[in-house]
Amino acid sequence: MASIIRLILWILIIVSLVGLPLIFIILFYLPLPPVNGDVLTPYLFLSMMVDPTRTLPILHFIIHTDLFKVAVFPGFAFAALLAAVTIFVERKFLAKMQLRIGPLYCGKIEGILQLLADGLKLIAKEIIIPSGADKPIFWAAPIAFVATAAAVVALIPVAPGWVVANVNVGIIAVFAILGFFPLIALLFSWASNSKYPFIGGLRALHQMIAFEIPFFLSALSVVILSGSLNLTDIAKAQHPYWYIFFLPISAFVFFISSLAELERIPFDLPEAESEIVAGWLTETSGMIFGLIQLGSYVKVYALSALFVVLFLGGWAGPQIFPKELAHGPTAGLMGLLTLQGVYNGVTVNAIFWFTVKTFGIIMLMLLPRGISPRIRIDILLHTGWYKLIVLTFINMFIALALIYGGILGPGGLLTAH
Amino acid sequence: MEKNLEHQIDESEKLGMQIVKESEDDRLMTLSVGPQHPGSGHFRFTIKVDGDYVVHCDPDPGYVHRGEEKMCEYRSFIQNIPHLERPVIHDSANITYSYSLAVEELVGIQVPRRGQFIRAIASELDRQIYTLYWLAIYGIFLGHSTMFMWPTGDRELFIDLMDALSGARVTHAFNIPGGVRNDIPDGFKDKCLRHISYFEKRLKEYEDIFYTNPLFIQRTEGVGILTKEDAIGLGVTGSVLRASGVPYDIRKAEPYDVYNEIDFKVQYMKSGDSLARAYVPLLDMKESCHIMRQLLDKMPESGEVRAKLQPTPKGPPGEAYRRVESGRGALGYYIVSDGSPKPYRVKISVGSFRNMIALPHLLVGSKLADMPSVYWSLNYWPVEADR
Amino acid sequence: MTIATKISSSSAAGMIKAIESGSKHLVIKRFTLRYPEQKLKFIGDGYQFDPKRGVGIAGSRGRHILFHDKCTGCQLCAIACEGIAEAIGMVKVDEQWKHNKKSIMPQIDFGKCVFCGLCVDACPFYALYMTNDYELSSFTKEHLIYTPAQLAIKPKYDGNVELKIDNMGATHG
Repeated sequence: MASIIRLILWILIIVSLVGLPLIFIILFYLPLPPVNGDVLTPYLFLSMMVDPTRTLPILHFIIHTDLFKVAVFPGFAFAALLAAVTIFVERKFLAKMQLRIGPLYCGKIEGILQLLADGLKLIAKEIIIPSGADKPIFWAAPIAFVATAAAVVALIPVAPGWVVANVNVGIIAVFAILGFFPLIALLFSWASNSKYPFIGGLRALHQMIAFEIPFFLSALSVVILSGSLNLTDIAKAQHPYWYIFFLPISAFVFFISSLAELERIPFDLPEAESEIVAGWLTETSGMIFGLIQLGSYVKVYALSALFVVLFLGGWAGPQIFPKELAHGPTAGLMGLLTLQGVYNGVTVNAIFWFTVKTFGIIMLMLLPRGISPRIRIDILLHTGWYKLIVLTFINMFIALALIYGGILGPGGLLTAH
Repeated sequence: MEKNLEHQIDESEKLGMQIVKESEDDRLMTLSVGPQHPGSGHFRFTIKVDGDYVVHCDPDPGYVHRGEEKMCEYRSFIQNIPHLERPVIHDSANITYSYSLAVEELVGIQVPRRGQFIRAIASELDRQIYTLYWLAIYGIFLGHSTMFMWPTGDRELFIDLMDALSGARVTHAFNIPGGVRNDIPDGFKDKCLRHISYFEKRLKEYEDIFYTNPLFIQRTEGVGILTKEDAIGLGVTGSVLRASGVPYDIRKAEPYDVYNEIDFKVQYMKSGDSLARAYVPLLDMKESCHIMRQLLDKMPESGEVRAKLQPTPKGPPGEAYRRVESGRGALGYYIVSDGSPKPYRVKISVGSFRNMIALPHLLVGSKLADMPSVYWSLNYWPVEADR
Repeated sequence: MTIATKISSSSAAGMIKAIESGSKHLVIKRFTLRYPEQKLKFIGDGYQFDPKRGVGIAGSRGRHILFHDKCTGCQLCAIACEGIAEAIGMVKVDEQWKHNKKSIMPQIDFGKCVFCGLCVDACPFYALYMTNDYELSSFTKEHLIYTPAQLAIKPKYDGNVELKIDNMGATHG
C-alpha cells in the first residue's frame, strides 16, 4: 500500500515539474500547422478528438512532413520492414528448395515471429570486444554501416514526389555513398586485431573495389539514354518501354555487380568462409552482429530498388487502384471513410507496383544462394576487372547507337511526348 | 648423412637456429587450422602462408585419440565389436567386417552363405551412408548449402534400411565374428529395391546442381593434381587412388566373402585433380546400387546366418591380416592371438591415416583459397585416423 | 574396367541446368519428419534372441524388457556387459520365484548403456528382450537407472509414420 502511494507521488511530481514545462516549451517552438485556415491549438486538437472526422487534415499534414518521410515512409522504417520480411522469406524459400521446413515453432503459423525472437536474442547477448582492439572504431563501424545503407535508401524514389532527398545528381550521389562500404569493412577488420578478420577485410576490399567499376559503367548507359542524372527523371523517362528491353546486357552486369557489392553467395568470400571462420565479421557478437545484418539487408533492398528505378521503370504499371474513392468533395463521416485529402490513387498505385517489382528482384537475388557454391578470389577478380567491363562497353555502344540512330532520346521514334 | 649429423648438434643450438630462421621469414603468416575450426573437422594442421600461397604445411593428428588398439587387448573378441565401431559410427558395418574376417581366420570357422550375403548388403548400405555424409560436408565447405541438405536427407533412405535390418540407426553392431546377428526382416527386400531406384534418380539431381555447376568446376578443376606415380609412391588408398588413374579396388583385387560372384566395374578417373576426387565417390555410389541389386537377387532363400561360436571364442596362437574396402580406402586389421580369449595385439590400419600424407604434398605451392577443396577431397575422417 | 569419364559442359548450360534443378525442387514435397507430432513406425516388437537357434530376431534396439517369470539370476548379461559399457548390475529383489533362488535380477543404467544388445544375446532363458521405446530422457542421472520392476513394464509406443516414396518425391507421413 505504501509503495502505491509513493508511486503516485512520484508520478505527480514528475508530471508537474518536468512534463508540463516540456509540453509548453515544445508548443512554443513547434510550427503549428494551419488546419482548414485555423492554427492548431490544443483546444482545436481536443475538439478534433471528439469528432474524428476532422482528423484527416492532421494526417495529411503529418504524412507530408520531412520527419515522416525520413523515418517512416520511403525512409528507414519501410526499408527495415522490407529487410525483415526479406530475411524471413529467404529462410523459408531456401528451406523449400532444400526440401525442409524453415522456422516453424515461433509464432502459430509456420514460424512468423522468428525474427522477433532472433532480435531479442541478439539484444540480450553480451558484446565481447577483443583485447587490443581499437574501441572507438569497433563501436562506430557497425553504426556507420547501417547509416550508410540508410543513406542510399534516402535517395531512391518510391512514387512521384515521394523521395527523401531529391538531388539533381542522384546517381552520382548513390555511387559515392556506395564507395564508402569497402572503407568500413577494412576499418572494422583492422580494428578487430585478429588474423582472420584481417584476411577477410582484405578480401572484402578487393571484391568491392573490383566490382564498383562495372557497376557504374552499366548505370552510365542508362544515363546516356535518359539524359538526366536525377533518379526521379530517369524513372519518368521510361514511359512507354522500360530500359531493360534496350539494355539487357547492362541489366545483367548491374545485377551481378550488386550481388558482389552485397556479399551474397556466390560472392560471399569475405563473410562466411570455411577457412577464415567468419571473415571480417568474426569478432562481432550480440547487437553489433544484429546491426550489421540489418545493414546488409537494408542494402539488399536499396540495391534492388535502384535496379528497379534504373531498368524496370520505377513505379510504372497499369492503374489498378481507383483514382478517387468518392466523386467530388464530401464532408463528415463519408469524408472520413473515403479518406478525403489523404488518399491519392496514383500514389498508391505507384507504391504498389514499386514494391512488387522490388520484391521480385529481391527473390531473384535469393535464388543463387540455393544453387551455387562460393567463388574463389582470383576468378572473382578476373571476372570483375576483365569480363564485366568489356560487357559494359559493348552496352554503352548499343546505347549510343540507339540515341544517334534516332530511336530514343529527344525527338526519337519511341519516346513518349 | 646430414640427418645423422643433425642429431649430434646440441639441442639449444638447434633451437637457436630455428628461432633465427623464423624471424627471417616474418613475411610468412602462420595459420592454425585447428580442431576448433569450422573448416577442418577434429583435426589440426598448421600452414604458413606467404601472401596467398601456402609455403609449409604440418598436419598434427591426435586430437581424438582414444587408444582403441590398446583397449582391444582387455576385452574378448566379441566384446570388442561395440568398441571398434566407434571410430566411424555410421560406417560401422565396414570397420567391423574386416575385424570379423580376421577373427574368423584366427579361430578357424566358416560363415554360412546367407550370412555372407547379408554382410555384404550391410557393407554396401553403409558405404552409401558414409559417402553421402562426406558429400554433404564437402558441399558446405565450398559454400553450397543445398548440397549439404540434399545428401543428408537422402541418407535417411539408407539409415532407415539399416534401422530395419540391424535395429540401430548408427553404430549398428551388426557384424560379429561368425556372421551377422540377425536375419533380414519381412518386407526388407522390396523396401530396399524401392529406395535404391529412388536414390538413382536423386543422383542425377546432384549432378545437375553440383557437379556440372560451372562455379564448382572452376574451383576444383586442375587444383591439387596428384599424379599416378605420386599416388602409388605415397601409398594413398581408396577413392583418392582411383581418381589418379589407378583402377584398384580391394573388392576386385582380393575378393572376400561373395564379391567374386558379383559383376561390377571399378570406377576410376585419370585426371587426379580435386574434381576427379569429388566425382569418383559419386560413380562409386552408382556402382554400389548395381551391386546391391545383384546381392539381393543372388541371396539364397533360406539358411543360417551365423556360425555357432562360443561366447568367448579362442583359437590357436597365431596371427591374421585381412583387408576390406571401406568408404575411405583400405581398412586392414592385423590381429595376434596367444591362445587366450582376449587378443594379444590388434593393429588397425585405416585409409584416412594413409591419405593424410598427401595433404602436405598437395597443399604446398597451392593457394590458400584452395585449401578446403583439396583437404576435403582427400576423404579424411579425423576420428578414424586418430582411432 | 575403364570408366574414365570427363565432365564437360559449357558455363551457360551448366548454370541453366543448376537453376532448373533448384527451381524444380520448389514443387517437390518436403522431407522433414515433424518429430513430436509425428513419430516413426517400427516393424515388430524389438530385438529378441533365440538361444536355441543361436541367432537373433530383427527388431529395433531400444529399452530393455525383463520377464520376471523367466529370469534365474544367472548374471550372464552382467558379465557380457562388463567389457562393453558396465551398465548392468545385479540387485536383490523382494519377489520370491522358484527359479530364482538368489532373488537377484539385473538393473540397467541407461546413462551408460550403448544399446548394442549383446546382453540379450547372452541370456539363455528368453528373459531379456529389447523394445521400441527410445524416449528415455529424465532430469537426473539417478532416474536413468531402471530397477527390475521398472524394466518389467511393457512400453506404449504408437508411432505410425513411415517413409513414403511417390513420383513427387519422398516424404515422411
